[in-house]
Amino acid sequence: MITLTVNGEARRLDTPARTHLADALRDGCGLTGTHIGCEQGVCGACTVLVDGKPARSCLLYAHEAAGKTVTTIEGLDDDAVAEALRAAFSRHHALQCGYCTPGMMVTARDIVLRLGAVDEERIREELAGNLCRCTGYRGIVRAIAEVAANRPVLPAAAPRREAPAVAAPVLATVAPAVELPNRIEHQEALAVPLEAAWAILSDPARIAACLPGAALTRHEGAVLEGTFTASLGPISASFAGVGEWAVGDHAGSVRGRGRDGANAAEGQVEFHLTPAPEGALLNVVLSWRLTGPLAQFSRPALLRGLVAGLAGQFARNLERAARGEAPAKRLSLWALIRAWIFGR
Amino acid sequence: MSRQGVGAPVLRKEDGRFLRGRGRYVGDIAFPGMREVAFLRSPVAHGIIRAITKPQGYEAQVFTWADLEGVQPIRAPSSLPGFRKSDQYPLAHGRVRQVGEPIAMVMAATRAEAEDIAEMIGLDIEELPAATDMLAHRAGPPIHENWPDNVVLHTLVDDDISDVAAPIVVRRQLRTARQHMAPMEGRGVVVRWDERMEQLEMHSSSQMVHVTKTGLAECLGLPEAAVRIIAPDVGGGFGYKGILLQEEVAMGWLARRLGGTALRWIEDRREALSAQANCREHHYDIAVHADHDGRILAIDCEAHVDSGAYSAYPFSACLEAAQVASILPGPYVVPRYRCRTWSVATNKAPILPYRGVARTGVCYALETTLDAVARQAGISPVELRLRNLPGPEAMPYINITNKIFDSGDYPEALRRAADAVDAAGFPARQAAARAEGRLIGLGFAVFCEQGAHGTSVYHGWGIPFVPGAEAAQVRLTPDGGLEVRVGVQNHGQGMETTLAQVAHELLGMPLDRIRIIHGDTALTPYSTGTWGSRSAVMAGGAVGDACALLRERVLAIGAHLLQAEHVEYRDGAIHAGAASVPVAEIARIFHRAPQQLPPEMQTQSLEVTLGHKTVRDTGTFSYAAHAVEAEVDAATGQVKLRRYLIVEDGGVLLNPLVADGQVLGGAAQGIGTALYEEMPFDTAGQPLASTFVDYLLPGAGEVPDIEILHMETPSPISRFGQKGIGESGAIGPPAAIVNAINDAIAHLGREVTDIPATPERILAALA
Amino acid sequence: MKPVAFDYAPAETLAGALAALAAPGAKPLSGGQSLAPTMNLRLVRPATLVDVKPLPGLRDALETPTGLRLGAAITHAEIEDGAVPDVTCGFLAHVARGIAYRAVRNRGTIGGSLCHADPAADWPSCMAALNATMIVAGQGGERRIPAREWMRAPFVTALAAGEILLAVEIPRLPPGSRWGYAKINRKVGEFAKALGVALPGVLLAGAIEGPPALLGSLDDLPPGLDAQHRQLAAVAVTRAAAMRDAA
Repeated sequence: MITLTVNGEARRLDTPARTHLADALRDGCGLTGTHIGCEQGVCGACTVLVDGKPARSCLLYAHEAAGKTVTTIEGLDDDAVAEALRAAFSRHHALQCGYCTPGMMVTARDIVLRLGAVDEERIREELAGNLCRCTGYRGIVRAIAEVAANRPVLPAAAPRREAPAVAAPVLATVAPAVELPNRIEHQEALAVPLEAAWAILSDPARIAACLPGAALTRHEGAVLEGTFTASLGPISASFAGVGEWAVGDHAGSVRGRGRDGANAAEGQVEFHLTPAPEGALLNVVLSWRLTGPLAQFSRPALLRGLVAGLAGQFARNLERAARGEAPAKRLSLWALIRAWIFGR
Repeated sequence: MSRQGVGAPVLRKEDGRFLRGRGRYVGDIAFPGMREVAFLRSPVAHGIIRAITKPQGYEAQVFTWADLEGVQPIRAPSSLPGFRKSDQYPLAHGRVRQVGEPIAMVMAATRAEAEDIAEMIGLDIEELPAATDMLAHRAGPPIHENWPDNVVLHTLVDDDISDVAAPIVVRRQLRTARQHMAPMEGRGVVVRWDERMEQLEMHSSSQMVHVTKTGLAECLGLPEAAVRIIAPDVGGGFGYKGILLQEEVAMGWLARRLGGTALRWIEDRREALSAQANCREHHYDIAVHADHDGRILAIDCEAHVDSGAYSAYPFSACLEAAQVASILPGPYVVPRYRCRTWSVATNKAPILPYRGVARTGVCYALETTLDAVARQAGISPVELRLRNLPGPEAMPYINITNKIFDSGDYPEALRRAADAVDAAGFPARQAAARAEGRLIGLGFAVFCEQGAHGTSVYHGWGIPFVPGAEAAQVRLTPDGGLEVRVGVQNHGQGMETTLAQVAHELLGMPLDRIRIIHGDTALTPYSTGTWGSRSAVMAGGAVGDACALLRERVLAIGAHLLQAEHVEYRDGAIHAGAASVPVAEIARIFHRAPQQLPPEMQTQSLEVTLGHKTVRDTGTFSYAAHAVEAEVDAATGQVKLRRYLIVEDGGVLLNPLVADGQVLGGAAQGIGTALYEEMPFDTAGQPLASTFVDYLLPGAGEVPDIEILHMETPSPISRFGQKGIGESGAIGPPAAIVNAINDAIAHLGREVTDIPATPERILAALA
Repeated sequence: MKPVAFDYAPAETLAGALAALAAPGAKPLSGGQSLAPTMNLRLVRPATLVDVKPLPGLRDALETPTGLRLGAAITHAEIEDGAVPDVTCGFLAHVARGIAYRAVRNRGTIGGSLCHADPAADWPSCMAALNATMIVAGQGGERRIPAREWMRAPFVTALAAGEILLAVEIPRLPPGSRWGYAKINRKVGEFAKALGVALPGVLLAGAIEGPPALLGSLDDLPPGLDAQHRQLAAVAVTRAAAMRDAA
């Protein structure tokens, strides 16, 4: 049971910890003016005031708001600035379907109160966190500008310095990276002799011991069974599955598939060892596919960094193992995760 | 013209409730004891379902296709020769053919608990290779077992143009990305069985409640009278909600079975993005043949449209590609024309017509290729277009595909746009900018938009719904107010205001005494709904016709009461010389004191339902010229729109404020198509964007302060001279913007061919 | 989507918070502006959320002789608004204003962002450029971690399991110091494709698939970047330097 003040009224809500404030307001308080547009913190439709400041009610669990004062669009009925904005929004045709409007009003009111008389460019910058699919924003920007124009200029409205748009510097040519989807090549120099490295790489059990996050539970001939735990910041997935193992001349491959809840993964690691002046060179080609929620993000730029990190740890562990030392503590990273997390 | 009537820029009647958070959307509707529904959706793009295992203890809350006894799959065929049919099951049957396809329906006390249970369902799917590229997978392997390949429909405009000897032939291969329409409110359904009415009462975020009702009744095997669909406030449509949903069918079945308990499903953003990127993916191989002066001699095109896995109801899977063939020549005089199109089935969401439908892609293909022709001919893009547009003297102009352009001065629209942005002075500005190391470009696009076209255009498609007359019902209430019932659905277009303005124009009562009732099959006349830029023309015409008939009846009563032969309807009253009787008094007498009227007058109801068709149902043609000045940052590949101007001719505007809003909003969506919005897929058919961080919608910082100049050439075929313009804004931006980008970089010998023109693509073009 | 079921445990004391975090499945919650979206997608499935915001001292911003000790639960908006002492000649306030959106900045905290360690985020790069120091607490007491050794890989920091970031110590820039900051992204609030920081005697590239990189020259950009990303990183650094030098 939590207690909070909503639109001036003390409310006691019996809601599980996982209920975000938007659902608590809508279902628990019957205040359906707070709209849910993404639950990802991007669209701004659910913006409400928490202790007077705009906040995403989808990114705030109701329990976090205990003891706080929450104001929704319904609570702005008698607010003078909101009233001026409502009239201006109507005059400038700043709404069509009305779905983004409550969040837009809360943000608009904050712009006017916090920044005062403010220019169009700044209004557009401040509105970046409120998406509207209907109006093209022109009416919204003009309505806010009109209401803001009647207010004093406040220091917070100072313009922001911008980096000058100087031309691109000329860089030394770099070989283009292979851009095949779901395939990454990586090279790692090993500071151990070729045959010492091969002794490990020809044995799946020893590979698994060097690979962060991997655990081999069965190895019979070409058949492998095991788990792979992948962590990426707070995200963690543990894939359990089966695979096949093939070995050649200083080369090998593992192909496996597994699942974790709604996510399924299939991947192949092909590697071969080549001699290098001071040890050996491990050439790895990782190809994979991933299905389910983990797959459905597009931040491919992160991937190379992840693979490099994983391969680097694998190489260092392999070197330790070749020298008869224990592998370093697990620092789990997994390239199969098409990594995405909100970066704020 | 009266102050509140047709053409008046009155403020919207509907604004008040939205600005106070008192709109009522489907997610706001609740019933006591309501259960929440979540769907388990396919994690793979293509596969054979080997087993679905319900979690122990939750068997009564989990439903699969095997449970849905008596339910028919959704079928949206076309009678066009060669069209291949596909069944869309409300819950997957046998196979899954797209990521996000619903497999099981779960109900629980809360959405979170329903999702908990959905996670526990065992799913054994044997994965099959996915068809993800309409070009590579056109020939197969087929995604439907009994098909020879993946061609839904192949069309051919078979003019042999091999005899055209043109000095200039410009050929381009161009691609547009798959998009998600992204209304801010997703789809949603609240449904219960009303035992007293013996009726399924379904609230759905829909653009076409009557079509949904018919389709749902067919799938559930219910008489239509046993189905009522209500669309409350709808948070944006754009085509996304012009469909019979699998979820509606599955939930309708369950609600009927539960016999009273209400069910609610609200599509979340991840569901929407990962399962419903359902529009705009085209590929063109286009050649424009022209003479030295830039006059078009012929157009030759092969176009592919990615139709996705199924045929969505009621628009069949071939609609968009076949439309490409009929509209590719654009607004121009084109002497010879050859076009082949393929609608290709892939393991993606079934295609739906998104605002602009095929026109956005077609305009992009033709207009960017025309700019390349202009560059080759050494004449300005404006001049080239002026030489090829039909002049006002040619109107009505019948083009090469037998489109009848109803009215307008197309060259003048372009001239006004060019003058407004000082196109003549631009080369000097461009040169000066280049001297500073900046790349700026000016781009144009000209197009026309067929809207409100009807029976004669659509019957040939042989699709589940051929639009006919649009009906309105007007009812003079005893207190002198007016209720107007329309079957179209308002979801942002301002119809609660514009249709009231139409009624005011004819009947004179103030707007606040006129109420527009829409979005409920029980309360409104049958209609194919809101799509195809048709509501202002069709519903506007219907309200006008119905009000005109009502007006005649009111006049007759007034004449009787005043005992006059010559009466006049003015300012909400009937006048005969100095004597007058207010309409409200006539309403009172008719309904509450009929003894004052002769018997034959008492039976002339003051509740009139009338259907409307335009004079000719080949559609109104609005047209526009878009002009964009863009700056390309060669270092980052980013594009800034420095100026965006639109000259629009929508005929007589019912409300200029609302018309501007339609054009501006459409243009913002077009900017998204041009620069930002793209659903990438991997080769296994996984969509790679499931949040608004991955799928970028334009925000206030990305959409410039768009300027609009109006021309108002009345349409000769519509009730008030109005034309459909709901989609117009979304058609021109990709073409105009990419033309501006290409103008900025053409001196480097570079061009962008694929959209969205992301920084990655621009850097690649410049590399 | 809705999150999986979890327990919410607001921390009252540091010892209590550390104990709570030692439990299986416990995760610290600060502003939640990165965590909640991933939880709403069920990608993150904590058993318990330990809300560290209420911990004593986490909301303190103390000016010291050498600079500023900024509590981990100070929000981006508070830095933007100048509600904390300015020891960087306006640099931090400038950066804060470019983070996500105002409604997010009102909740999101500097500590949360640093612990999340998204390479595209602003603070990990800026703190490395400023040569700040992280103050973290664990069962064994407090320790200090240089910001330049903070991010080990994308989303991986030097913070050990069960530790809590208490504050970040930011050295004072000499009065009148000039700085430049360039963030390359397509939309306001969107992920940075590249970041450039220029401080007196410091050039740094961020959002480069891994930890931020201090540069002597553009040739020092990590070799693994593909051509486009390398170009964007170089552009960001060049623009930041130009902004600093023009100031």
